[in-house]
Amino acid sequence: MPSLKPKLDGATMKDTPTSFALPVVSDKAEATPAHDHAHDVVGDALDHAAAHSDASESGYGRTYWRSLEEKLGKPEYLEESRPEFPEGADLPPTGVARREFMQLLGASLALAGATACSTRPVDERMVPYTRTPPELVPGNPLHYASGMTFGGHTSGLLITAREGRPIKVEGNPQHPVNLGAAGPFEQAFLLSLYDPQRARVLRYRKEPRSLRTFGEELLGGIGRAAQENGGGRVRFLTEPNTSPVLDHLRSRIQQRLPNARFTSYTSVTQDAASEGTRTVFGQSATPVYDFSKADVILSLDADFLESRPANLAYARAFANRRDPAEGNLNRLYVAEPRFTITGGMADHRLRVKSQEVLAVAAAIASRVGGAVAGLAGAAAAKAQLNEAHTKWVDAVAADLRAAGARSAVVAGERQPAVVHALAAALNVALGNVGQTVRYVPSAIAETTSAAALRPLVDEIKSGAVDTLVITAWNPVYRAPVDLGLRDLLDPAKNPNRNKLTVIYTSLFEDETSAYADWFIPAAHELEYWSDGRSIDGTVTVVQPLIQPLFNGVSTPELLALFLGEPYRTSYQILRDFWRGRAAAGTDFETAWETWVSVGIVPDTATAALAGTPNVDAARALVDAYTPPAAGELEVNFVADYKVYDGQFANLSWLQELPDPISKMTWDNAAYLSPATAARLGLQPGDVATLSYGGRTLEVPVWIIPGTADDVVVLPLGYGRMGLHETVAKEVGFNANLVRSVNAPWFDGGAKLEKARRTHKFALTQHHWRMENRPLALDMTVAAFRAEQEKEKRKGSSLLARVRGDLEGGNLMPDFKYEDYKWAMAIDLARCTGCAACVVACQSENNIPVVGKEQVSRSREMQWLRIDRYFTGDELNNPEMVMQPVACVHCEKAPCEYVCPVNATVHSDEGLNDMVYNRCVGTRYCGNNCPYKVRRFNYLHYTADKTPTQKMLMNPDVTVRNRGVMEKCTYCVQRIERVRIKARVEKRPIFEKELQTACQQTCPTQAIVFGTLSDPNAQVTKDHNDERAYKLLHELGTKPRTAHLIRLRNPNPALVPAKPAEGQPEGGH
Amino acid sequence: MAETAAHTAAALDPLEPRPLVAPHHDDKSLNETLLDHVWAKPGKGWFMLFGLALAALGLLVLGVTVTLARGVGMWGNNQPNGWAFDIINFVWWVGIGHAGTLISAILLLFQQKWRTSINRFAEAMTLFAVCCAGLFPLLHTGRPWFAFWLFPYPSTLGAWPQFRSPLVWDVFAISTYLTVSALFWYVGLIPDLAALRDSSKGKIQRIVYGLFALGWRGSGRHWHNYKIGYLLLAGISTPLVVSVHTIVSFDFATSLIPGWHATIFPPYFVAGAVFSGFAMVITLIVPARKYLKLRDVITDRHLENMNKVILATGLIVSYGYMMEHFIAWYSGNEYEIWTFYVNRARGPYAGVYWLMIACNVITPNIFWFKKCRTSIPIMWVASILVNIGMWCERFIIIVTSLTQDFLPSSWDLYSPTWVDWSIYVGTLGLFSTLFLLFLKFVPAVAVSEVKELQLELKHAAHHGSHGTDTAAAGTLTHGAH
Repeated sequence: MPSLKPKLDGATMKDTPTSFALPVVSDKAEATPAHDHAHDVVGDALDHAAAHSDASESGYGRTYWRSLEEKLGKPEYLEESRPEFPEGADLPPTGVARREFMQLLGASLALAGATACSTRPVDERMVPYTRTPPELVPGNPLHYASGMTFGGHTSGLLITAREGRPIKVEGNPQHPVNLGAAGPFEQAFLLSLYDPQRARVLRYRKEPRSLRTFGEELLGGIGRAAQENGGGRVRFLTEPNTSPVLDHLRSRIQQRLPNARFTSYTSVTQDAASEGTRTVFGQSATPVYDFSKADVILSLDADFLESRPANLAYARAFANRRDPAEGNLNRLYVAEPRFTITGGMADHRLRVKSQEVLAVAAAIASRVGGAVAGLAGAAAAKAQLNEAHTKWVDAVAADLRAAGARSAVVAGERQPAVVHALAAALNVALGNVGQTVRYVPSAIAETTSAAALRPLVDEIKSGAVDTLVITAWNPVYRAPVDLGLRDLLDPAKNPNRNKLTVIYTSLFEDETSAYADWFIPAAHELEYWSDGRSIDGTVTVVQPLIQPLFNGVSTPELLALFLGEPYRTSYQILRDFWRGRAAAGTDFETAWETWVSVGIVPDTATAALAGTPNVDAARALVDAYTPPAAGELEVNFVADYKVYDGQFANLSWLQELPDPISKMTWDNAAYLSPATAARLGLQPGDVATLSYGGRTLEVPVWIIPGTADDVVVLPLGYGRMGLHETVAKEVGFNANLVRSVNAPWFDGGAKLEKARRTHKFALTQHHWRMENRPLALDMTVAAFRAEQEKEKRKGSSLLARVRGDLEGGNLMPDFKYEDYKWAMAIDLARCTGCAACVVACQSENNIPVVGKEQVSRSREMQWLRIDRYFTGDELNNPEMVMQPVACVHCEKAPCEYVCPVNATVHSDEGLNDMVYNRCVGTRYCGNNCPYKVRRFNYLHYTADKTPTQKMLMNPDVTVRNRGVMEKCTYCVQRIERVRIKARVEKRPIFEKELQTACQQTCPTQAIVFGTLSDPNAQVTKDHNDERAYKLLHELGTKPRTAHLIRLRNPNPALVPAKPAEGQPEGGH
Repeated sequence: MAETAAHTAAALDPLEPRPLVAPHHDDKSLNETLLDHVWAKPGKGWFMLFGLALAALGLLVLGVTVTLARGVGMWGNNQPNGWAFDIINFVWWVGIGHAGTLISAILLLFQQKWRTSINRFAEAMTLFAVCCAGLFPLLHTGRPWFAFWLFPYPSTLGAWPQFRSPLVWDVFAISTYLTVSALFWYVGLIPDLAALRDSSKGKIQRIVYGLFALGWRGSGRHWHNYKIGYLLLAGISTPLVVSVHTIVSFDFATSLIPGWHATIFPPYFVAGAVFSGFAMVITLIVPARKYLKLRDVITDRHLENMNKVILATGLIVSYGYMMEHFIAWYSGNEYEIWTFYVNRARGPYAGVYWLMIACNVITPNIFWFKKCRTSIPIMWVASILVNIGMWCERFIIIVTSLTQDFLPSSWDLYSPTWVDWSIYVGTLGLFSTLFLLFLKFVPAVAVSEVKELQLELKHAAHHGSHGTDTAAAGTLTHGAH
């Protein structure tokens, strides 16, 4: 019985860390498990309690509860380990957090005592600051490679930690999918780590328990029952899995419980793709595209620039082909029912209902002919091509044929297997396989659709299941309503429910946890060790950045409990697994250190399928296909751009992020085309009753031009009713309530009827048009070349206006810049509008979230916004152009001269600095800014930060108070950090070492930052690019941010006869 | 200066203007008439109005408290509309304040005798209006507790205001204006305070009025110094009439927002200010002269003259509107064209715009007709319409210019909150409260000056046509108290 922990520097090592744990890179010293006697759980706990009962260091809560526990003498009340209270909980909670905290603690004192139950029985190496590890210099950030898994795929991240607190996410440049970029979800990843609403209490029904008690239960009661007939009455419901270590754990559980079964479920399943490719390639395969080689791309309802899992790599390769400086432009055709980000990048976009996509694909395939002719014929018999689409289809097919093996056909995950089979067959027929696309065995081997849950549901209904372990995220919420999971798990509605023990783990007490018997708060992915694959099979090592803040239990540790083995931490589990896989004779430790530091395990990418594809094998699939009912409205379900399927609904950054297309925040809506809305007599903001499949749902309506007619689009992920997820709660409506297993993505026969109510939306942009002003310039290559010719003869009024000589257009004196001249360039041809930069900026610069009410008052605080304009045939078939706008750092800034107190001043490097301390908040600068990029703290938006939320703040950036103006600073804190380093090394700042947050995360590298004083810098080249222009150039503000004109590459066969293309922005 | 000719002819002559002071008065009766309302117990009406004013003042206290406690976010201002009710009301109140200085200073220098009966009244109005106006720039800052940073004070950090900013100019303009107006008003009040002291019946009143009278004895030396001082103050005030609203207009004119960025703003703002100021004087003086029984000194002729000023300045304002629209079209600048022809005339606030046109362009034209100029009910209603119109003008200038400027993506509407309204109504309450107190405790008409004028007029009547310049000089020694 150890009396005291070892001493360091003569001081007693305290239980509660005064600092936060650093990630442990190596455990050489502790490689051998120190807990051989771990079976004796109760004894352990008693030992531990005795060792830790040091009255002198305790607050009242600890001693009080320890004594009560001892008095009760119940082992389950005994706490076992170190971090007694969740990190941050020892600080006085305030405001909302305090209420939440108290709710979680519950009204009963017993519950309060139970929060002391830690889930971490084993000490990992903690590093107090008295012995600073060599890599740590207080004040300097450290970067760790890690990962984020969702939908089964793991992307590689690089996480910045400050004094042990992770504060910023970037993409891992070494990762084949991320390539240094990160999307909005990844950027908001940290917010969920610090979410004060995360679950903290492990409970059995309403009684708090410790993990150890749960482990015992698994060894005892549940365990014995489970082992009967080889686990025949045990079921696991998991997320789709690509993680090698979890896979290993699963197979070991299967060894122990051979009759137990694992089922996977996710809302955005890749099943259709797998099924479609299986027919062609003989095994389920995933296409991996190389868009850098594709001249012509056809997207069949595939939002490949934004929908997971490979979008970041795709967007990078695609964007490189939109820059005329890098060669001829590619051409993108998109057929889709709603405006997607990919559709916005299209050269030719066809508005079709989802069910018409098959007809379009079949018609194109039959015109392409060759190997695909037979399949196309069969498919065409199933779906009649709309005559209005013939011209488009002809042109696309001709273009595809002409491009031959330099084309690519992409099918979206919302489309049925037939479309995937057709796309694969088209790629085969065009000779793309091995050129622009390679088919690799799917990283996710199992089925993950709702239909695959049916057998499990039936088993539970018939009482054939005793134990159901759910590690999948919130199936009660996200499964289609007709699966009946909610009723199934409700004791009042399912007579066999009382035979069943539901064990559920999640970050939050959510819709599913309400029906769980055992609820185990999950550890965040940045709190434990794990791994996972990306789409091409590359394995990422997911490294924790911090000790569990809320005593969550990691999924590997939880699954390992079913092995009935001594407790191992996720770190040990992962290392043991990979050590076992290491080739004999190699130095595992060195390899491991490299993997962890780089973030990926090398040479784990999957090889492409070798066999010969058999296109005609897909005939059976086509013949078996039944098209959905036509008639009335076609209901379409889509994963949301901001909250996905609801997993990210509690992340306020994402809730407040304007939807890239609708610019809506804090809501979803039933999106309609203008014509359909007019036909139904609906106005934006009306509430309508949607009836479909015998169910009705009240939905507010919004109009987006470019939506296909007779289509209603319902984004998933809203209408969350989780117990403590107060951010997500009751935001929008839950589309799963009308979604069915058989038609998870689209179906005909929906009706919309106007209800009496109206709904107030909070949008960040209300005006669609540019009003003939030359703002976001967007023209065809031909039109641009013509303008350039005119410009040479000084005849282009357009180009003269956006970049001509102003001849003293501004009376302000010129500044002198002797050193750096910071500048930015944003390429509109590359920008897809995905909004990753907006979230990155929010994270980097401590930008507050203001809530729906304030957004509806137009007081959103994001420094970077993406203006979205519709051009062309605005109502029926518009084109969309995105334009990121942040402070453009005018050399002759209108904001500077009007500030009465010198709070916004010009730096000698051309930055338009904002001095928060000096600002009194007259808002004159904001008024006089023609770009309207200044953001004012109308209220004290940062007042209610809880201690855990404060941990997320970037210490290099001031947290602004009420009444202060703020705006983009060009990430001045990053400039200063590299400046320090450069000064120490007596050299200028290198271009490569300095990136703004938005630039760093941009998947398409649309944003470039640097100094104009360096003629070789990319930003200088971009400023001198033939496409460069300055927004509102004619005002004489001399912006330091240049925009590059977006060029389109239309197919001459599809260009309308009138030469008006691109003219709406002409502004004459 | 037609009326300087003479008042010898009887009122029968239709070409002769009506008298400025009812001829039957002598010094004593004037004293009684003009000081009477100070000594009389206020009537029920006064108490009712005072109660109403206090209630509105309560709204001000509430609105200000909420604003200070929670922040300007309690107002309706938002991202494109950084300014709204705050600056609208600021400009509106400052504009109203203009009549006082104009009447007191410029008309004094031009030796317009008809100013005498109304100058006290107008100056008080100025003072209170500027007080109301001054509240807004202070409250509208995000951190009002640091608003003093706009003043050039010896900061330990060595930080100075940014002198290129029109807001700093505003600080000087408004504070100078307030100081000079207060001084001018108070100096003019001294002889009357002394008169009140001397005619007071209670000890407390005597002491209080005596203190404020600063030992005025009405000696020739006093009068000599007083007249010089008053004239000097008038001289100092004169440029302020032009400067204050010119500088206020610079807040807009120096910016680059379409609808603000206009060189016509200074004269057009000054005219607008005088326009609204005179309208407010009419609005207040019409009931006041009835209930304070001042018809004999504030005659219909005064009112008619003021209506003429309203007509003249109203026409200047209309010309301003015309030029704004013309220049917007003539420039061919699409942002300007959008602002004037699409957003203002047909946009979301078109109702306010057309109300402005109706009140400011059409209404003053009724004063071409003598019947309207002299009809009390018509002028009173018209004066209120003008005040509404001028408020709408500021709303249109500020809000429509900001809601839709250069980038359509940032366009957003503005709507005031209850706090905005309560502060606005609250300043009306503050103004009314101060004004009612003024009417109760201070002679609303400059007694000494009226008596002086009376003497002067009689003098002129006896001696035929005399230049008023000599008359003015002559009265210096006639300390008629």
